[in-house]
Amino acid sequence: MIISSGVIFIFLLFYFLIIFTPQPPVRDMVYARVALSLAAKNKADSYSRKQYKEAKGYYISALSKWQKENKRFLYSRDYSIVAKLAKLAAKAANQAAISSQISYSNLKTSLKKKIDALNNLDSNIDEMFTSYPLTTETRNRISKGKMLLKEAEIIYNKGQYLEADKKITESEYLLTTSYENASGNLKNYFRSYPEWRNWIDKTIAISRDSGDYSIIVDKFSRKLIVYLEGTKKYEYSTELGKNWVGDKMVKGDNATPEGMYKIARKFESNKTKYYKALLLDYPNDEDTANFKDAIEKGILPRSANIGGLIEIHGNGGKGIDWTEGCIALTDREMDSIFRIAKVGTPVTIVGSMQDLHHVMKR
Amino acid sequence: MKNKVLMGLAAIAMVAFLSSCGKVPQTEIDATNAAIAAAQAAEANVYVPAEFTALQDSMNVITAAVETQKSKLFKKFGPIKEKLASTLTLANTVAANAATKKEEVKKEAETLLNDIKAVIEENGKLILKAPKGKEGAAVIEQIKADMATINTSVVDAQGLYDKGAYMDALNKIKAAKEKADGINTELKEAIAKVKKR
Repeated sequence: MIISSGVIFIFLLFYFLIIFTPQPPVRDMVYARVALSLAAKNKADSYSRKQYKEAKGYYISALSKWQKENKRFLYSRDYSIVAKLAKLAAKAANQAAISSQISYSNLKTSLKKKIDALNNLDSNIDEMFTSYPLTTETRNRISKGKMLLKEAEIIYNKGQYLEADKKITESEYLLTTSYENASGNLKNYFRSYPEWRNWIDKTIAISRDSGDYSIIVDKFSRKLIVYLEGTKKYEYSTELGKNWVGDKMVKGDNATPEGMYKIARKFESNKTKYYKALLLDYPNDEDTANFKDAIEKGILPRSANIGGLIEIHGNGGKGIDWTEGCIALTDREMDSIFRIAKVGTPVTIVGSMQDLHHVMKR
Repeated sequence: MKNKVLMGLAAIAMVAFLSSCGKVPQTEIDATNAAIAAAQAAEANVYVPAEFTALQDSMNVITAAVETQKSKLFKKFGPIKEKLASTLTLANTVAANAATKKEEVKKEAETLLNDIKAVIEENGKLILKAPKGKEGAAVIEQIKADMATINTSVVDAQGLYDKGAYMDALNKIKAAKEKADGINTELKEAIAKVKKR
């Protein structure tokens, strides 16, 4: 009897000891930990940093509070704050994971668009300005911008979008400002377009009225176009002087002049080192007037020489602008034009036959 | 009466015994934490980030499990000890994998650095042969600007490599190498074009 009542007593004692043991919020803590882990896998520590940091802070506080409560006497422990903090951690971590997924995905898409746009800009710069005489500083900026873009692409392909973003921003700045700078320069150059257009129309009209050949050189597209009776007959690729942008002002400036000229002399192979040559009547009256005006205004020194010997000649086909201001064709093309050109044939040299809008679009 | 008192005392003693028999495996916890710290020191977070995150997750599970047991009347740390042992092994593996990966990246960066130096040297010779005509050309100017940028990149990458930031060095050098190779091809084509004539 004593034994059985003793067993019941011990059983009850155990029962109440267990029943009244405060229960820790294990489930809440598991939820919080899993949510944090998921957020980390979604790169929330990088892409939703503030929310992730907040969630982690709640979790660490919950754990710390739990550890603190566990040091107290078993039956005086209170886990309510632990549970509350764990729930806050889980909620913040879930939000961080969602926010991170959205940021990550948005950044990935926007960076891809930026990379594509910058690659297009890069191609435009190459097309328009590789052979355009830009300043050394602009060239260096373009170069650095392109290098950063390449680095950004490599990092982007590894999924490191935040690092890629930094490089893309820097590249975008360098390429865009360089492009704008060079375009501004180009716009300035194209202010002469109305005058060029006038020369072009006159030259074609002369060909039409005389029923003979006229030649127009389009510096920007590097084309030499032959007109017969006002109609385009032949078109050749040309190579110009290094500083082909702008009108020739002085001897040695390596610029190809702009204006309405005529063929003054024809040189056979034995009379020129450039295969065959057609000498132009540069400088014309307008060039001389402009040259004198520049000297008067102090733009050029009094010792300056206007230069001459501007020709259409052979030895071209190098793929670069290499002359001192002349217009180079391949020897084969030179043969063709040499046959049809005669002393007095009009040769008009313009910056461009198309306006800037068309050039930029092209 | 005397028996009841004795029984009560026996029960309390038993409870006290049972509740204190589980002891926190602090030595194992410290050892595992040290192994994780070693993995981090081996830059596991840089070279094997997914493995390192899994390792940290594993330790977080253990930390929570320890507190769960400490909250109980009857503590049981046996399974936790087993988990600690496996996590310690995992930490060592992650550290070793990080070291291997770091070495691979280092070798790759080193190879590329040597390769690009050779390409740069060749480009320096090719640019002299490039068809630049009487006064040079804008194209050549752009190539020269690109070559200068590549040189700066190589210097930067070498600096990163010397600091042990092999991954960053590798990213930089890969971009520079692509550019240098592009210039090499461009110059060779330009020279070949002139030679044909």
